Amino acid sequence: MRRVARKLAEDRAAMLGLGLIVLLVLVAIFAPWLATHPGDVTEFHTARRLSPPGPENWLGTDRMGSDIYSRLLFGARITITIAVTAIAIAVVIGVPMGLVAGYYEGIGSDFLMRVSDIFLAVPQIVLAIAIAQTLGPSIENVILALSATYWPFWARLVFAETRSMKNEPFVEAAIALGCSPLRVMVLHILPSISSSIIVRTTIGMGGTILTAATLGFLGLGPPPPTPEWGRTIAESREFLPMAWWYAAFPGLAIFLVVMGFNLLGDGLRDVLDPRLRRASQHGR
Amino acid sequence: MKTLVLIVNRLIWFFPTVLGLLAIVFFISHVIPADPAAFVAGENATPETIAAIRARLGLDRPLHIQFVRYIQSILEGEMGRSIYTGRPVAEDLLGRLPATLELTFVTIVVASVIGIPLGVVSALRRNSWLDHGLRVVTIAGLAIASFWFAILLQLLFSMRLGITPLSGRIEGWGPEPITGFYLVDALILWDLEILADALHHMVLPVATLALPAAATIVRFTRAGVLNALESNYVLYETAMGYPRRLVIWKYVLRNALIGTVTQIGLIFGILLAGAVVVEAVFDWPGLGLFAVNSILNSDYNAVMGFTLIAGTMFIVVNLVVDIVQGMIDPRETR
Amino acid sequence: MAGELLSVRGLRVSFASDAGSAQVLDGVAFSMKAGEIKGLVGESGCGKTTLARAILGILPRNSARIESGEIRFDGRDLLGLPEETLAREVRGREIAYIPQDPSTAFNPVFTIGTQIDDLMRFKSPLLRGGTDDRQGFFNRYPRERRAADRARVLELLRLVQLPNPEAVLRKYPHEVSGGQRQRLMIAMALLPEPKLVIADEPTTALDVTVQAQILKLLKQLARERGAAVLFTTHDLGAAYEICDRITVMYAGQEVEEAPVDGFFGRPSHPYTRKLLDSLPTSEAGIRGIPGEIPRLIDPPPGCRFHPRCDRASALCRAERPAPERIGPAHSVRCHHRIGAAEPAG
Repeated sequence: MRRVARKLAEDRAAMLGLGLIVLLVLVAIFAPWLATHPGDVTEFHTARRLSPPGPENWLGTDRMGSDIYSRLLFGARITITIAVTAIAIAVVIGVPMGLVAGYYEGIGSDFLMRVSDIFLAVPQIVLAIAIAQTLGPSIENVILALSATYWPFWARLVFAETRSMKNEPFVEAAIALGCSPLRVMVLHILPSISSSIIVRTTIGMGGTILTAATLGFLGLGPPPPTPEWGRTIAESREFLPMAWWYAAFPGLAIFLVVMGFNLLGDGLRDVLDPRLRRASQHGR
Repeated sequence: MKTLVLIVNRLIWFFPTVLGLLAIVFFISHVIPADPAAFVAGENATPETIAAIRARLGLDRPLHIQFVRYIQSILEGEMGRSIYTGRPVAEDLLGRLPATLELTFVTIVVASVIGIPLGVVSALRRNSWLDHGLRVVTIAGLAIASFWFAILLQLLFSMRLGITPLSGRIEGWGPEPITGFYLVDALILWDLEILADALHHMVLPVATLALPAAATIVRFTRAGVLNALESNYVLYETAMGYPRRLVIWKYVLRNALIGTVTQIGLIFGILLAGAVVVEAVFDWPGLGLFAVNSILNSDYNAVMGFTLIAGTMFIVVNLVVDIVQGMIDPRETR
Repeated sequence: MAGELLSVRGLRVSFASDAGSAQVLDGVAFSMKAGEIKGLVGESGCGKTTLARAILGILPRNSARIESGEIRFDGRDLLGLPEETLAREVRGREIAYIPQDPSTAFNPVFTIGTQIDDLMRFKSPLLRGGTDDRQGFFNRYPRERRAADRARVLELLRLVQLPNPEAVLRKYPHEVSGGQRQRLMIAMALLPEPKLVIADEPTTALDVTVQAQILKLLKQLARERGAAVLFTTHDLGAAYEICDRITVMYAGQEVEEAPVDGFFGRPSHPYTRKLLDSLPTSEAGIRGIPGEIPRLIDPPPGCRFHPRCDRASALCRAERPAPERIGPAHSVRCHHRIGAAEPAG
C-alpha cells in the first residue's frame, strides 16, 4: 500500500488529477462560504443580466442576472451527489453480482453475464436518455438512469477477475480448508481484485460525470433553477456569441473535474494493474 | 469455410442480444411508467385520447402478452407515430439515418488517419516529451464534454472568425437524394460545388466527434505497439536482422491494429453518443438531432424508437467488427 | 590463432533494475573456431542468454549496459559497429539465431511463407557480393532472385524433414506443431548460409521425444554447411550429444572450457564436477548442488563460486583466478582445480 502511494506520488499527472478532485470536494463542501453571491442559486437580478466577468461578478452573470461563479460552486455539489451516488449504486449491484457469477459456474451465472452483456451492447448515454425521459427530469432520476446503465461494467470486470482468481493456489487452498463460499469471496478474492475495482471506479467517475452533464444539457437533468453545469451550458446557447462566459466557464468546470478523475485513474492503473506493471518491467 | 463458421457463430449471439435490447426498451417504455398510454399520447392529450391509445396498444392486457405484441409490431417495422411530426417513427428514423452514418463514418476515417500514426510514434518514442504530451492530450480529449467543445468551436470558427458554417449539413437544398449520403450523391452527380459545401459543413462536427475517437485510437494503438515491441517475435526478427522499418510498419503494426480494430466498435458507441449532442449543437439533421427534438417535445414513441435503432446499430457494428477481426486475426478459430 | 571465428574478451554487462545494478556478465572470455559446435552450459541465470544476445547485439537498449570488453567476429569488432551495419551485414547474414521458444518467435498474424520470404528478401546468400545490397522498405525483390530463393527454401525445408513444404509455407505459425516450428527455425537460421548460428536453448520448449531429433538435425545440417554453432543449454545430456567443446558458466563468469571428452572425463573446476554429479544416476538418484546461485546485484568478490565451494580459500575470495591451460583446448579458472598438486593454504 505504501509502495503504491509512493509510486503514485512520483506521477505528476496523477497528483494533478488528485489535486483537482480534492479541489472539487472542497469547493462543494465550502460553497456557501466561497461564493460571492450565495443567494444566487434561486435569486434573480434582472438589472444585471448577462454582464461580463468583472469585479462584482467574477465569471459574469447569466440570463437571470445570477452570479455564474457562485452557481458553479453550488453546481459542484450536484455533480458530486450525482456521480458518487450513481457509482456507489452501480458498484453495490455490480460487484456482488460479478463475484457470485464468477464463483459459481452454471446457468444462473451465464444468464447474469448475458444480461450485463446486453446492457453493454447499448451506448450508455442512449440508455440513460431513454430511462431519464421515462422517469422525468429530477436529480434522483438522473442517478437512477446512470446506475442502471453503468452497473454492468463492474459486474463484467469482477466476474472475469473472480473466474481467474478461482484457480489461484491460495483460493483453492481456502476452499479445500473448508472456508464457506461467502468467506472465500469476501476475504480471499475481493481483496486481491480490489485494485482493478478501484481503477475502474476512478475512471468510471469521469465518464459518469460527463454523461450526467450531457443529460443536463439535453434537459433531462435536475430542473431549473438547479445550477447544474450541463443545463447552464444549454441555457447559454441563445446568448452566444455575446455572452461567451456563460458557456465557457461551466464547460471548463466539467472538463477540469473529469480530467482530474481520468488523470488519477490513468496513474492508478499504471501503478496497480498487474498486467501493465509486468509489461513495463519487461520493457526496462 | 472458416469465415462462414465464424459468421454463423456470431449471428447466433446476435439475435438474443437484439431480443434483450427489445426487452430493455419494452421494460423502460411499458413497465416503468405508471401509465404508458399517457406518455405516448403526449402532454396535452385528453382522457379520451389516452383511453383510446390504451385500448389500441393493448396496454390493459397482461405484460407478457404486451411484450409478444410489442415484438411483433417492431418486427413489422411499426414503432408508433411521432406526436410531433405525425409520421411513423420508423420512417422518420430511416430518413435521418444517412446523415448520422455519414458523419460517423467520416469521423472514424479522420480519427484513424490521425490516431494510428500518433499512437505508433508515441510508442516508438516511449517516455519522450512527445509521448508525455500525447498522454495528456488524449486524456484531456476524453475529458471534454463534446457539446461544450462543439459550442467553443462554433464560437471561435463560425461566430468570431466566420470561416466555417454555423450549422446544418449543406447550404440550401441538398443534392438530389440517391443514397442520402451527400458526399456519395455529390460524387455520383459529379457536382463538386455541393461536395465542397458538404465537406465544409462537416469540418466542425467531425472535429468535435473525432477528438475523443482519435484519443481512444491513439491510446489503444500505443498500447498495442508497445505490447508487440516487447514480444518474442520482435526479438527474433531483430536478431535475424530484419530491417527495423519492416519490423515496425509491417510486423508490429499488423499485430497492434488487430487490437485497434476491436476498439472501433467501442469508438462507434462513443460517436453515436456524441452524435446526439453534436447534432443538436450543429443542427445536423440526423438521428441525434431527431432524438433531442423528441426529448424536448416529450415525443415518447420517437425517443424509444431512437433507443432501439441506436442500440441495434451499435450491436450490428460490433458484430461486423467481430467478424472482421476474426478474418484478419488468423489465430481466431472460434 | 588460425581459424578463430569469434572471440569475446573481458566482456562486462550490467542490467539496471529497481534494486540496483546487476553484474550479469563479469569479464567473460570466450572463443569459437570456424565450423565448431560449442556448448555454453550453466544453470538458468548464469548469463548464457545475455552472452548470446550480446554477441548478436540485441541486448535491451534501455536497461542493459556493456561496460567493457570486446567482441571480435571474423576480423571485425562488433561492439564498434553502428547498429545499422550490424542489422544489415551481421545479424541474419553472418550470424543467425535460433530462439528458445519457437511458438512465440514466429509472428502470429503472418504466414510462415511471408516471414521466410521477407528473410530471404534481405538475407539471401544470393545477395552476397551482389550489386544491390541496399535494404529499403520499398526495395523490390527481383523476380529471378525470388525464384532462386524459393527453390533454396523448399530444398532446405525438405532437408529439415518437413512434410509437404509448399503447404507449410501457406500456413500460419499456430497451425503447425512445436517440433515443426523449431525445424522451420533451424531452416531459417541456415538459409542465409551464416558462419555462426546461435541456438539459445533451442529445445527447452519441446517435448523430450522431439528434442533429440531436432538436435541431431541441427548438428548434421550445420556440419554439412560448415557453420559454427553456439549452443546454450542447461541440459548436459544435450550438450554431450552434439558439441565439440563446452564452456561452463557460473554467475556471469566462465569457469572451464574443455573438449567434450575432457569435460565429461576430466572435469577440473569444482563447479563442473558438481554439475556432472548432479546428473541423475540409477544409484544415487538426483543430487543437487548445495547453496544458492548468488544474487548478481551484490555478487561475491573474486571467484563467484567460492561461497558454495568446499575447496574455497582466502585467495578465492580475494581475486578471480586467471585461465590455466591444462590440456589441448582445455582451460580452467580455479585456484584449486581438481587434479592439480594441492598447494598449501
